[in-house]
Amino acid sequence: MRLALRLTATAAAILVCALSAAWAGGAGFGDDDDDSDEAGPSYFGFVRDSAGATVPNAKVTVSLKNRISIVTRTDALGTYKVPGFGREADPKDIEVSCDKEGYKQLRVVRRSSPSTDPKIPIETECTLQRI
Amino acid sequence: MSKIVSLIAVAALAILVSSPDRAAAQTQYGDANAQPAPFNPQMAALMSMLIQPRHAKLALAGQAENWPLAGYSLKELRQGFVVAARAVPRWKGLPVPDLFDAAVDQPLKLVEAAVKLQYKRQFDEAFGKLTEGCNACHATTEHAYIVIKVPGASAFPNQDFEAKR
Repeated sequence: MRLALRLTATAAAILVCALSAAWAGGAGFGDDDDDSDEAGPSYFGFVRDSAGATVPNAKVTVSLKNRISIVTRTDALGTYKVPGFGREADPKDIEVSCDKEGYKQLRVVRRSSPSTDPKIPIETECTLQRI
Repeated sequence: MSKIVSLIAVAALAILVSSPDRAAAQTQYGDANAQPAPFNPQMAALMSMLIQPRHAKLALAGQAENWPLAGYSLKELRQGFVVAARAVPRWKGLPVPDLFDAAVDQPLKLVEAAVKLQYKRQFDEAFGKLTEGCNACHATTEHAYIVIKVPGASAFPNQDFEAKR
């Protein structure tokens, strides 16, 4: 009987603490809400020249093997971003290439992320070399 | 018997949860009796606290050709970027240190050179490039509507930016 009472009281205390923590809210400061994306991971990266400088307005092609390609251009910071190809698309089947007049593609390197969070884009850096 | 005990406990909990005192202590802003939470400013707050005012102060110091103050403001602004990138290394999945590097590293070096040379024309040009870098980064992160500009007036009436001799 006493044991049952103690167990019940403990459970109630845990519940009260959990509710209090939820009421207290987060400790953040700002409205940096994270928009979750149901389309699978997006694809992001920099295009750089062989000296490491970013290359704006480079053409970037992101392809899902034998199915679909998205062509975009790097912005003023030399970055590109394309949305996900859906949850069923395996990131291993995604290929990135880059191009710009006066350059040739030198290498493409996928940067591994320490996180498996699907909201973190798959990051691939493309390096161009002046012809 | 155990059923009765459980019922009593549930009823007690319900009373506790819905008690007027509890409701009074809890508002949309939290609970006055809660333990202080660790302060964890996110990117918007860090930009408003560490970057935007320092960007403005650097401009005002440069405009006044107060080069010691400009050098100090530049150091503070750089440190602000470092702190923000460490506090929020990824923002909406994007790599913040890489974005800062691409957006402001070169312009900050140009500003530094202008401050060292005490050359206002080069400072103005470099500061313009720095500001362009800020806006390019905002565009990359889908915040193109936040447009930074070279300040036309001081937002710090309690600070004299003129050079002191």
